[in-house]
Amino acid sequence: MKMKNKIIYVFIMLAIIGVSCKKDFTERTSLTSTSIDNYYNTADEVRATTSTLYSGLPWAGFMSRGLDDIGDVMSGNSHSYEGNGDYRAFVVFSQSAATPLVSYCWTAYYKVGGWAASFLQAFELKKTLGGDAVILDPAIAECRFMLGVTYFYIGRTFGAAPIIDDPGKVALGGNYNIPRYFKEDILRYAIEQMTLAEAGLPDSDVPGRVTKTAARAYLAKMFLYNQDYTNAAAKALEVINSGKYDLVPTEQYATMFNSSSMNNNIESIFAIQYQLTGNPWGAGNQLQCDRGPSNLNTSESSMWELFRPSLDFKAAWEPNDLRRPATIMEQGWTMPAWKPKTADADYNAFMANGYKYDTIQATDKGGEKNATRSNIAKYVVGPGAAFGGEQVIAMNTGQNFMMMRYADVLLIYAEAILAGNGSTSDAAALDAYNRVRTRAGLAAKLSITLNDIMHERRMEFAFEGDYWYDIQRQGFAKAKQIIEAQNRGEVGTPLYVTFSENNMYLPIPATELLQDPELAKDPVSYYNK
Amino acid sequence: MNIQTNSVMQKKILKTIALIGVVVFGFSVHVFAQQNITVKGTVYNENNATLPGATISVKGTTIGTTTDLDGKFTLLVPATAKTIVVSFIGMEPQEVPVTSGPIIVNLTTTATALSEVVVIGYGTVRKNQVTTSISSVSQKDLKNLRVTGVDQALQGKLAGVSVTNNSGQPGGGVALRVRGLTSINSNDPLIVIDGVPFTSNTVSSSGYDGLGGGRGQTGNSFLANINPNDIESIDVLKDASAQAIYGSQGANGVIMITTKKGKSPEGKVSYDGYYGTAQITRRLDVMNLRQFAEYQNAVVTNPSTEFMDPSLLGAGTNWQDAIFRTGYTKSHSLSFSSGKDKTSYFASASYFDQSGCIEGSDYKRYTTRFNLDHTVKNWLNFGLSANIVRSIQNVALADNAPSGTIWLACIQNPLIPVTNSDGTWGGGVTVNGVTYAQDNPVADSKSRGNEVIQNNIFGNMYAEIKFLKELTLKNEVSYTLGTRNNTAYQLGVNVGPRILQSTLIDTRNNSYYYALRNYMNYNKNIGKHYIGLTAGHEAQYSYWEQISGKKVDLTNNILDLSAGSTVQTTWELNGGKGDWSMESYFVRGNYIYDNRYSLSVSYRADASSNFGPNNKWGYFPGVSLGWTITNEKFFEPVKKTISYMKIRLGYGGVGNQNLPNGAPNPPYTALVSIWPGPAGFGSINGQATNYLAGIANPDLSWEKVITSNAGIDMSFLKNRIELTLDVYKKTTTKMLLFSTGPTFLGIGSSWNDLKAPIGNIGQMTNKGFDLSITTQNIVKEDFNWTTSLIFSHYANTLDKLLNESSSLTGSVYYAGNNITYTAPGHPLGSFYGLIYDGIIRTQADLDASLPQFGYPKDETHTWLGDVKYKDINGKDANGKLTGTPDGKIDEADMTYIGSPIPKFTFGFTNTLSYKNFDVSLFLQGSYGAKIYNFMKWQLEKMDNNSLNQLTSVLDRYTAENINGSLPRYTTTNSNNSFISDRYVEDGSYMRIQNFTIGYRLPVKIAQRIKMANLRVYLSAQNLYTFTKYSGYDPEIGSYDNGILLMNVDQGHYPNPRTITMGVNVEF
Repeated sequence: MKMKNKIIYVFIMLAIIGVSCKKDFTERTSLTSTSIDNYYNTADEVRATTSTLYSGLPWAGFMSRGLDDIGDVMSGNSHSYEGNGDYRAFVVFSQSAATPLVSYCWTAYYKVGGWAASFLQAFELKKTLGGDAVILDPAIAECRFMLGVTYFYIGRTFGAAPIIDDPGKVALGGNYNIPRYFKEDILRYAIEQMTLAEAGLPDSDVPGRVTKTAARAYLAKMFLYNQDYTNAAAKALEVINSGKYDLVPTEQYATMFNSSSMNNNIESIFAIQYQLTGNPWGAGNQLQCDRGPSNLNTSESSMWELFRPSLDFKAAWEPNDLRRPATIMEQGWTMPAWKPKTADADYNAFMANGYKYDTIQATDKGGEKNATRSNIAKYVVGPGAAFGGEQVIAMNTGQNFMMMRYADVLLIYAEAILAGNGSTSDAAALDAYNRVRTRAGLAAKLSITLNDIMHERRMEFAFEGDYWYDIQRQGFAKAKQIIEAQNRGEVGTPLYVTFSENNMYLPIPATELLQDPELAKDPVSYYNK
Repeated sequence: MNIQTNSVMQKKILKTIALIGVVVFGFSVHVFAQQNITVKGTVYNENNATLPGATISVKGTTIGTTTDLDGKFTLLVPATAKTIVVSFIGMEPQEVPVTSGPIIVNLTTTATALSEVVVIGYGTVRKNQVTTSISSVSQKDLKNLRVTGVDQALQGKLAGVSVTNNSGQPGGGVALRVRGLTSINSNDPLIVIDGVPFTSNTVSSSGYDGLGGGRGQTGNSFLANINPNDIESIDVLKDASAQAIYGSQGANGVIMITTKKGKSPEGKVSYDGYYGTAQITRRLDVMNLRQFAEYQNAVVTNPSTEFMDPSLLGAGTNWQDAIFRTGYTKSHSLSFSSGKDKTSYFASASYFDQSGCIEGSDYKRYTTRFNLDHTVKNWLNFGLSANIVRSIQNVALADNAPSGTIWLACIQNPLIPVTNSDGTWGGGVTVNGVTYAQDNPVADSKSRGNEVIQNNIFGNMYAEIKFLKELTLKNEVSYTLGTRNNTAYQLGVNVGPRILQSTLIDTRNNSYYYALRNYMNYNKNIGKHYIGLTAGHEAQYSYWEQISGKKVDLTNNILDLSAGSTVQTTWELNGGKGDWSMESYFVRGNYIYDNRYSLSVSYRADASSNFGPNNKWGYFPGVSLGWTITNEKFFEPVKKTISYMKIRLGYGGVGNQNLPNGAPNPPYTALVSIWPGPAGFGSINGQATNYLAGIANPDLSWEKVITSNAGIDMSFLKNRIELTLDVYKKTTTKMLLFSTGPTFLGIGSSWNDLKAPIGNIGQMTNKGFDLSITTQNIVKEDFNWTTSLIFSHYANTLDKLLNESSSLTGSVYYAGNNITYTAPGHPLGSFYGLIYDGIIRTQADLDASLPQFGYPKDETHTWLGDVKYKDINGKDANGKLTGTPDGKIDEADMTYIGSPIPKFTFGFTNTLSYKNFDVSLFLQGSYGAKIYNFMKWQLEKMDNNSLNQLTSVLDRYTAENINGSLPRYTTTNSNNSFISDRYVEDGSYMRIQNFTIGYRLPVKIAQRIKMANLRVYLSAQNLYTFTKYSGYDPEIGSYDNGILLMNVDQGHYPNPRTITMGVNVEF
């Protein structure tokens, strides 16, 4: 190569170096996702995002632990097995700031709040980018509905606690030293969010989507907890008069809890919408595995009875309550359609004509003889399609979980009319109360007290995560009386616990206190900042 | 099983010995005596240049000559002469048998570290010209280490480079770190093979996630794709002034690998093979059946009928013996090479097969490599390198609480048989009337699998144009094509009464990467001045895509997606893809004056698709200085003692763009992503349910790492002692992290979190020193002894995060069991918890005990036999810690209870050769690191009557044994098992990592059988470990190769002891 050629070559190479990359070589967009800029242009696009808030995904922690451990184990409805200290803490009130499951529950509630608030901020951002308010505002109202529900739980469970309106902004700003706000302010915030939701939600929507009426049902409950009986009664009456909801008939009471065919039934006001799937993890209902009896475990469905009815709860039934077999399984309980099989021939012979709950049969031959001789029946849909039940995917069922039922509104209404008095014979109150009661096959009452309502609530909503709050809202003295009278033990080994004032609320997890020392200080007002 | 495997091993050994015998005696030929012989030949150096002035002598005589200007010689030797010796100053002398044909001799440079060539990125320099901090190791230092990957072989060999086996699993899990912890995200160094960077980070196998287990520590670094026998040398760029030429990819250090080239004009065939067996040497002391029955009878309300009379029981199942087995390793590696005239080539093929010590774990690897360099024209060189690698790894689920195989084996009830009398798997245990379906770890290992099959094709091609003698232009294209198939499956089997549903998750991944690189080199000596300049441009692009399907109820357990249930709701189908690109410009200038003063300056600019419009470009400078004092005139008088001394100073800034797991792509954007399956309402008129993935941060930028380095290289007594010491400070700023805080933010970084925005947060510092000393203790004709010691120390501190109360936490088991907590001012991954202060043994103790977490003193809360914790701290009205005890035990009393980071690590190698024997002893160790023994937490937890425990629980507190060493059994007071220093142990150890004895056949015998070289050896890896640690193995490593769970033993897959025998043959 001649020198001249070499020099030409150098210039060619330099030219190649200079222009070898196109300007946009390092400009890349996601290959799998879209972005706020070019999405959220139709109502369906927006509702495809709010759909996540109804899914089990943000609610997974609440559903798998908070619901049972707090709502039913602490209240004495459920027993959690003796062999595991992590869960026993909620039976004997030995939870502390260092108990892992306390942290788990805390995280679960705030996760729903964080997701709802982040989605809400994204929709607000889209509005500033020229998004259509007509399609975005109802979605914003749905987010507020979820925030209302979440903070209602947070205030009741932990008392004073932080409020996070815009998680992304807080995260980027880096100031996590957020104080605890008064419990009253948390409940006020929940009511505010729910009121905004009521204003922004449509009158009616497709089954399962929340509406103005659903918001009113929650408002009624929130007002009731604030002992604002007038507003509670008014909101409950709006729901009753709307004609949009009703009780399912007696014969459907059990199927409401063990068949996905009853998803979004007439009684269901707000429900977590579950899909029969294991992917994404949490999109399916995973209550069955924690509740179902271990002798119903099959190759298709997992059951390990982490939670069971307590002895105290079993003793609380009135005779001939038709809800009993829908609520718990005990000696003699059968489900002829379910024909579970295992590798054991004796077991298979025992179950050949359908599932039998039997505490006399040997436990490795199909018997079931746990510490309280019973299991929870609600949200147990069975051993799977191959064994005569509906389809189950390992830990997952496709059954919705009802967070708010019409029966609740009826009992809220009755209690709001009672309005803290000793008893009432108000016709409207009695009608609402007796509708729930007579559906269960029990005799109507002519006069009711708070204890009557509380008993009815306990039996009606057992294992739906509500009874703890019913006990707690009656104040420490009453709560102590109720809890300390409960037999929280096992057959042959009764257990009574002591209940102290600091058991009224769960402690704030230690790891949170480390990251936000403000949480250890006295609470402050959210509204007079 | 053990006996069987051992007899297999014996057979193999016998076979090998027999083969060697045949080779030695079968092929021997006679050499006929003659009067006088004329011996002719040529001597070359290692770069195939002829070597004038080399000395040729007949061994044991004074007869000799030297080579001429062309490196040729002619020598008349007596007929009785058998061997001639060829020598040259600074080179290894070589003995060559006398033959009638022309002799070709290749001399190699004496391996004093200072004369080696060092690869520095887009070029090479001699070690004595280096001004930055670089550690090097050559093939001969690694040859005795019979390990899967090169990364493992580097353990204890390079100062400042820490190598920890994250797992004893075949083919997996090595944490390779250069000078401490550079990043919160990946700390994997950049791998550069023959000048070609491979940015592929450690990949974990994830298959078990879908089967309800967790991830193991099975990450494979890119280095696992390379046959260790193909490697000539490894250089590690340790400080930023050296790394800066790699800019944003260099911050974690750069491992420069040089592979073998054809050198000898004579063709060379080389075979290397070995066989080894491996065993886990330790067992945990868990209860046998009799002990367990006594324990359970004492703690449950309704004891099992089987346990009525424990004295009638046998020892029960030893689950540890059931899961451990004897592993083996087989390796064959064959290469052909030659370098003559204008062409040199090196081609190799290898097969590696290892079965692990836990059922269900093994690894196979096939590699081929081809290197070619050719001079096309006198102004044009061309070359290529091509590699094809296939690996098949079966992963046993270990290192995972609560579902790992070892974890399960230790807690499994000894009453359960491994198999029932009818051959089905044992399982299920009834306690208090409930049948628990506990896992059978052996059945799990045999019926559950996680297989990763990877095919990688990678290589590069270059053309180098020589414009002038001093000026060259190199154009390179390099590429990687990869496929990765990961199948996780559960076969449909019966375990006890349970019928397990068969499941298959099949994941396929394709990826490719390419880089275009053009750079010019200019090198010129003008008098006492030397100038070297490099300038270039590089463009890189990387793409991956994935598809994954799931089926259940597989017909006849056929592991294929076409088998299985046709009910579509049981199916899963997922996809994914992503890409990344980068464009860079770089320059470097080297200037040396009179071999005394050196200056090196480099600068690189990178633009990455990972960063937003506000910060797309990053700029990375590096500068270093060197002063060779021994070349100064004034130093002459001391030179007899100090033969070489150089002082180096370096400063530079490099970057990191490794992102935390789960980051959106690109990470600065706010995306709307689709769930992989139905969620919520499923589909809304065709719009799949979706969610927000990430929160926008257009300011997102590079992680910046700034290093200052000062070093000294010295050698004494004519290079008999060589020493290198480097002191450094490395500061990482603008770390790329999810802006996570307390969980009440509601967004986070976990797999199931809505992701917090990614920010440039915080700062971290590593300070330390690296020391290496090599001494030639004895240098004699037939006796040599070399010792080398390396010593590395660093201290890591997280300086700041978003604010003073921000922290990083690492949890295990279930969310909420936080083991590590790192707030600013502390080393990363520090253990955090309460301080154990004995047991409440008497009523007086109980009365005097401080309230713990507000518990009343009763049997369900704080009671006799419970743990007391130390009151060390309290809070004031503002929630601030006061630092003084406050009379109660609560979260304020949690504190730092140990750091997983060692105070120092060391490696100590002794190599002896006597005549034809060689012996090497390599010790390696770590001092001062703590281990969080989470296995012990589980095995002394005593709150679950159906799980086995250590025998230490037999000495628990009871009313009859108030002096018991452990607290009472309780299911109600979880306080006893809170995270505390009860489970923190000293993780210091010293390990006989390798002991090898080799024998080399004398040259003349080898020659008779047409061999250039034959060596046989016996080698023991991980022979013995001196440690106080009570678990299986003190070398724990990092969970999932991260930094927040280092040295947390969750049922860690221990490193086995391996006995290997092998042979190297060269023709």
